Amino acid sequence: MSKRNYLCLQRSETGQPERREAPSPAEMDKMYAQFNAWRETFSDNIVDLGGRLNGKGKIVTSKGEIDGPFVELKEVIGGYMVVSAESVEEAAEIARQCPGVVRPGSSVEVREIMSP
Amino acid sequence: MSTPGLVEDFFRREYGRLVALLSRRAGMHHLAAVEDAVQFALIRALETWTVAGLPDNPSGWLYRVAGNALIGELRQQSGRRRILHQSADEIGGLGHGADDRDAEDPADDLLHMLFVCCDDAMPLESQVVLALKTLCGFSVREIALRLLINQTNVNKRLGRARQHLRQGSRPRDLAAAQYSARLPGVHRVLYVLFAEGYLSSSADFAIRRDLCEEAVRLATLLAEYPVGAAPETAALLALMHLHAARMTARQDRSGGLLLLEEQDRSQWDRSRIGIGLEWLARSATGARLSRYHAEAGIAAEHCLAPSFAQTRWDRVVECYVLLQHIAPSPIHRLNQAIAFAELEGPAAALASLDGLAPKDAPGAAYLRAAVMSDLNRRCGHRDAADRFRDEALRSAPTVAIRTLLERRLHPQSAEPGIAPGRA
Repeated sequence: MSKRNYLCLQRSETGQPERREAPSPAEMDKMYAQFNAWRETFSDNIVDLGGRLNGKGKIVTSKGEIDGPFVELKEVIGGYMVVSAESVEEAAEIARQCPGVVRPGSSVEVREIMSP
Repeated sequence: MSTPGLVEDFFRREYGRLVALLSRRAGMHHLAAVEDAVQFALIRALETWTVAGLPDNPSGWLYRVAGNALIGELRQQSGRRRILHQSADEIGGLGHGADDRDAEDPADDLLHMLFVCCDDAMPLESQVVLALKTLCGFSVREIALRLLINQTNVNKRLGRARQHLRQGSRPRDLAAAQYSARLPGVHRVLYVLFAEGYLSSSADFAIRRDLCEEAVRLATLLAEYPVGAAPETAALLALMHLHAARMTARQDRSGGLLLLEEQDRSQWDRSRIGIGLEWLARSATGARLSRYHAEAGIAAEHCLAPSFAQTRWDRVVECYVLLQHIAPSPIHRLNQAIAFAELEGPAAALASLDGLAPKDAPGAAYLRAAVMSDLNRRCGHRDAADRFRDEALRSAPTVAIRTLLERRLHPQSAEPGIAPGRA
């Protein structure tokens, strides 16, 4: 079965900004190592590590532009990445194992990128 | 935690290095802003590097980001307070200092920070907490965990330290005289740091050991500089390495404490004992004998003894006499009695403790009762032994210690040995 690409969108709920305590330097050492281990494990699957998205932006519609960020939305997209996988389940598992991506107050939406 | 491309504990080490460097340049009264700026830079690094990969010079990257964040914050503060000229100087020093200071040894800033922390105008407990926060990069929660106190308490101690550092305008660097005047304070803070790790009743061995290793790291740094390269520093390092060498063997598989005579001596770290003995040799200069010399001497005797029975108790007792002379303490007296019992018998040891009342050893009530129980039992005074045993169990500060005492002071136990205090 050939691999397909999946877009992973990290969403976090607005209204309740993250109240997580900032990580300590020792925890950052751990997080950095965990992330690298994850990246190593799934190096064949990671197409684009993507990045975090700025909260500011614009929505363009046929009627014109509205300024973001989308305060009226319940959730905001905080980051994205692209992985390749055999199935949406596998892609979801890769995203789930990525340290710090799925946590209380945030979730990941995994969508197949259709190829012609 | 080792990370690809970065040295072990990179983020924590960088935290200490940058706080030391930036607070020295901006002035200690800006310590809080400096800590925030460094924390900000580390988080930015975590976010950026995981995606974009490591920059060519990670330390330089962090310095730039933290420095800019600090300048921004100080500008904002000075704008609010409308004392532009004052802070402009400070910021200027920060912005233009890069040329000369960058070439300097970053360890020099760490050393400076260590002496800033060890200011006797602050309570000792605040000095220890400040050092753990700024130099070791531990968070309030991590410090609370290591010192077995709650976070509010850590914040209070830190608050006192920061308030002290904020007071008045201070020269950017400590004067040479302040360095030498504060050296005994630095030794004491490092000693306390090590002892917190070594004696802590925290069950987590890794947590205890990293406190000890932080103390060793800072003491080693101290010894590298003329201002810190005193015989006391070498003695302190000897004592730390000699104790650390026995740390793993000191506990059983379930984390319980083992008596010295129960420890598997083959588990002692021989190369570390070697390092300790080298420092001990280097400490043997100068005319003054410090408590660290005496304590390192005792630790060395234990490390060198092939077995408990072959310990040179005469030398151990000698060192305790010295220690008691330099730094009189009921705890030293009790330990001396334990060694004395091995040398001269339990009756002589018991006699040496005549007049030591419970009120003389408020922090060591259980230790006194345990030693009295042990010595009385070995003298055949069963009633007294049982009475002191009950008292020791009642006042044991932790479960681990009570378990050890129950085993050691069991009424049926008639084996000779040392009391639990020497575990």
